Amino acid sequence: MGASLPPKEANLFKLIVKSYETKQYKKGLKAADAILKKFPDHGETLSMKGLTLNCMDRKSEAYELVRLGLKNDVKSHVCWHVYGLLYRSDREYREAIKCYRNALKRDPDNIEILRDLSLLQAQMRDLTGFVETRQQLLTLKPNHRMNWIGFAVAHHLNSNGAKAVEILEAYEGTLEDDYPPDNERCEHGEMLLYKISLLEECGFLERALEELHKKEPKIVDKLAYKEQEVSLLVKLGRLEEGANLYKVLLKMNSDNYRYYEGLQKCFGLYSENGNYSADEIDRLDALYKSLAEQYTWSSAVKRIPLDFLQGDKFREAAVNYIKPLLTKGVPSLFSDLSPLYDHPGKADILELLILELEHSIRTRYPDRTEKEPPSTLLWTLFFLAQHYDRRGQYDVALSKIDEAIQHTPTVIDLYSVKSRILKHAGDLVAAASFADEARCLDLADRYINSESVKRMLQADQVALAEKTVVLFTKDGDQHNNLHDMQCMWYELASGESYFRQGDLGRALKKFLAVEKHYADITEDQFDFHSYCLRKMTLRAYVEMLKFQDRLHSHAYFHKAAAGAIRCYLKLYDSPLNSPPEEEDNTSKTPSQKKKMKKQRKAERAKKEAEEKNEESSASGISKSGKRHLKPVDPDPYGEKLLQTEDPLSEASKYLKLLQKNSPDSLETHLLSFEVNMRKQRILLAFKAVKQLLRLDAENPDSHRCLIKFFHKVSSMAAPETDAEKLVWSVLEAERPYISQLQEKTLSEANKIFLGKHEDSLMHRVAVAEMLYTLDPTKKLEAVKLIEDSSNKVVPTNGALGPVMEWKLKDCIAVYKLLDKVLIDQDVALRWKVRCAGYFPYSTYFEGSRSSAVNNLLNNQDITTSVNGGTSHPEIKQSANSFIPNGKLEAFKNLAI
Amino acid sequence: MGSGREVAISLDGVRDKNVMQLKKLNTVLFPVRYNDKYYADALASGEFTKLAYYSDICVGSIACRLEKKEGGAIRVYIMTLGVLAPYRGLGIGTRLLNHVLDLCSKQNIPEIYLHVQTNNEDAINFYKKFGFEITETIKNYYTNIEPPDCFVLTKFITPSQGKK
Repeated sequence: MGASLPPKEANLFKLIVKSYETKQYKKGLKAADAILKKFPDHGETLSMKGLTLNCMDRKSEAYELVRLGLKNDVKSHVCWHVYGLLYRSDREYREAIKCYRNALKRDPDNIEILRDLSLLQAQMRDLTGFVETRQQLLTLKPNHRMNWIGFAVAHHLNSNGAKAVEILEAYEGTLEDDYPPDNERCEHGEMLLYKISLLEECGFLERALEELHKKEPKIVDKLAYKEQEVSLLVKLGRLEEGANLYKVLLKMNSDNYRYYEGLQKCFGLYSENGNYSADEIDRLDALYKSLAEQYTWSSAVKRIPLDFLQGDKFREAAVNYIKPLLTKGVPSLFSDLSPLYDHPGKADILELLILELEHSIRTRYPDRTEKEPPSTLLWTLFFLAQHYDRRGQYDVALSKIDEAIQHTPTVIDLYSVKSRILKHAGDLVAAASFADEARCLDLADRYINSESVKRMLQADQVALAEKTVVLFTKDGDQHNNLHDMQCMWYELASGESYFRQGDLGRALKKFLAVEKHYADITEDQFDFHSYCLRKMTLRAYVEMLKFQDRLHSHAYFHKAAAGAIRCYLKLYDSPLNSPPEEEDNTSKTPSQKKKMKKQRKAERAKKEAEEKNEESSASGISKSGKRHLKPVDPDPYGEKLLQTEDPLSEASKYLKLLQKNSPDSLETHLLSFEVNMRKQRILLAFKAVKQLLRLDAENPDSHRCLIKFFHKVSSMAAPETDAEKLVWSVLEAERPYISQLQEKTLSEANKIFLGKHEDSLMHRVAVAEMLYTLDPTKKLEAVKLIEDSSNKVVPTNGALGPVMEWKLKDCIAVYKLLDKVLIDQDVALRWKVRCAGYFPYSTYFEGSRSSAVNNLLNNQDITTSVNGGTSHPEIKQSANSFIPNGKLEAFKNLAI
Repeated sequence: MGSGREVAISLDGVRDKNVMQLKKLNTVLFPVRYNDKYYADALASGEFTKLAYYSDICVGSIACRLEKKEGGAIRVYIMTLGVLAPYRGLGIGTRLLNHVLDLCSKQNIPEIYLHVQTNNEDAINFYKKFGFEITETIKNYYTNIEPPDCFVLTKFITPSQGKK
């Protein structure tokens, strides 16, 4: 380094490097300038100066200098290394790898560069490269523990577990017998457990078990030891020993469901889908009865039998399970039992059982011989409310929860549940207002604060939600803070709300923020490549890498990407110059709309003012010496995002991620269909159709896409170019393989589809829409098909109670179709009136019991103050100031 | 845990974060809507205002105001004391009142008083059990309820000598 310089300057150069490592950038900069005064073209100095500037937030200068330095001394490994570091700091890992490789060409044994390279290769999953680099490092420095471990992990990641084991054993061969010293016992134990898990993964079960037993004294994590042992025993078919070990584990933690599952497996009594023969059920019953005697404190041992028991035995077990919990008052009881509602018949049994309990509490209540606490009735009503909510009987659910509230009006969960019932019933405004009431009862509870924010967003009260959510962020940091905390539920919910309200810019902003979080999470693994090897947390490290590999299949990412794609589709369909239309405003009068617009304007102005304030205060901090410069968002409303030239190619970016990570989601391919149809990418659209048919050919949307696709194709001009002809020939070859279309016209296929699903609303609607698409003169027929659908009571055996079959969400979709696609206001209105009858709480259809009609709640909503001044409607109704307050505060009504 | 059958009763202070609990109780217990001063006084009284929890459910409260008499002596005025109907008869009111009486004797506060409607015999008997006496009758104290008269119930507390 700095070899070409005279001694004085060479020393200065060393100073630059040292200053960079110790973050004394100003000092380094001075030294660099001193050298450059004499040798203005010295490449390595120029590079180092650039790297130093990069750390001082002078990016563009940095790149300029580093590139210049490299140009002046292209043979210097320092210059290449610096260039790589610069790219790495900007997360341009591929470019950085290239630079490192160039640096290594000049200096192949440079350990620092090799190590940096290996980290990048792990990050980018360049696994063969990773193995090579790790091998080189080990060859250069075989006395370093980390190099052995790194080489082994590299082979493991590169799917060569056996090799990894060999390396670890070779490493163990280098150790003394009394290894490890006391301060490294944990690390060594982790390494051994990692090796054994590798043996297990490779299928060397005997060897793994043998090794485990041999190394027992050296393994510190005793629980992991036992779990590993039991897993090996079961895999080796040594079930009796396995069962005994599981019992030992249960003694340590008798609420670990996985131990029970394992124990069942040892007894040959485990089935993935929970289906058991009568004989098996009896044996399971006996097993759990004996376990319950051993593990008296366990609640799992009492809960699990409810999953496999049936009929009377289920009933008996359920009573025994539920009764004490109602007496004790366990608010989560319903969520605990809610999976049982998917088992046929169990919802009915539970209903009868709880109603009986309710009855017996009420009738026995006055004499109190049973010593039942008064709260039991409350918790029973609370359970029943959630029960009826789950069964779709919202009116009963509401009457139960109201009774519970009357009984004990101070229990917060009651208001949360009431809010949830109202949401399910379709009254989002009332739901938001009750969630807010719950929030006000405990202003120190972040969970209920978040819940109420979510309800507000669902009711499109964005401004109120923003004010409420910041009650729990750090002062002054407000919205940035939510972003920094990766608060994704909030960003998704507000993105969806903006989307509903037609504010595509801000919707996109929120969706893309979530996408950014996922990129950050991927990025975050970087530090662990070196950290975990050093700390020997190898099992956790490898698991983390595997998690990262499927990170983007997470539901939140899926939602965000789908939301962004929808925004871009809408943007493409109605470009910016036409003002964004509000979609869900059927219930709003023009004057209300005006008001909303005004509100939004005012909101914007206020926000801008606030941001200015923040800005000035932020710069104030930086002046006072602290480096706390938050870059101000140059595009807070996403207006720049909206100005994209090509919304469809933006959409395609996110679509690719969905296709890669959520290939089994219908939605992925529906979006792919929409995007590619608009892009005229016929074959890609066709691929989407085929995927839809593969996943669910009977789905109404799959049917829609199929018909739409071939209808579009048939209406296109005859192919001219070679490429078009090629596309045509592919379609011609493929069409016969689509069973729905074999030797049929599209109309016929449509009819057949109807014949298969005549009783289903959504299928009829899809057929009607396609009828109209294929032949617009058949609009009346299409309308009739929809209106002739009948809403029946569902058969009760499953989770739902005796309720009508149609879902609110579907009926809203049908309304939109009538209104926007078939464009028939009279029919749409008829539909709305009809649905208002089915969904009396729906604000969308202005049902008779919804807050849209019942203005009470709307008014209340306006008076709700953010900091806890909300008042329940009942309070408002009670004549609040009918007596002058001064003396009356003394009024007493003592309760005994 | 103990015997397991006994349900725990506990007291907790009132703060701005949970003052809505007190408001909620008052709207159910009393036919009056209390003004902001009531809540300010209650919060200011510190330990003299408490919520009662029955197995973690808020079911009752006592709210007091500390008053300065001429000469600097302090006396306690009980603004409200109440327990939700289903939870009465479980000793929760007693627990709340005893808490305040204990505080008075610990802090050498000699006088504690309250107003009660003249026909509220249950309340009068309840307080008498704790050594309160009728010290005054105020005519037409209430404006919109019948009867409009009230008693003043007072308990004079001897300083905590003899008590531990």
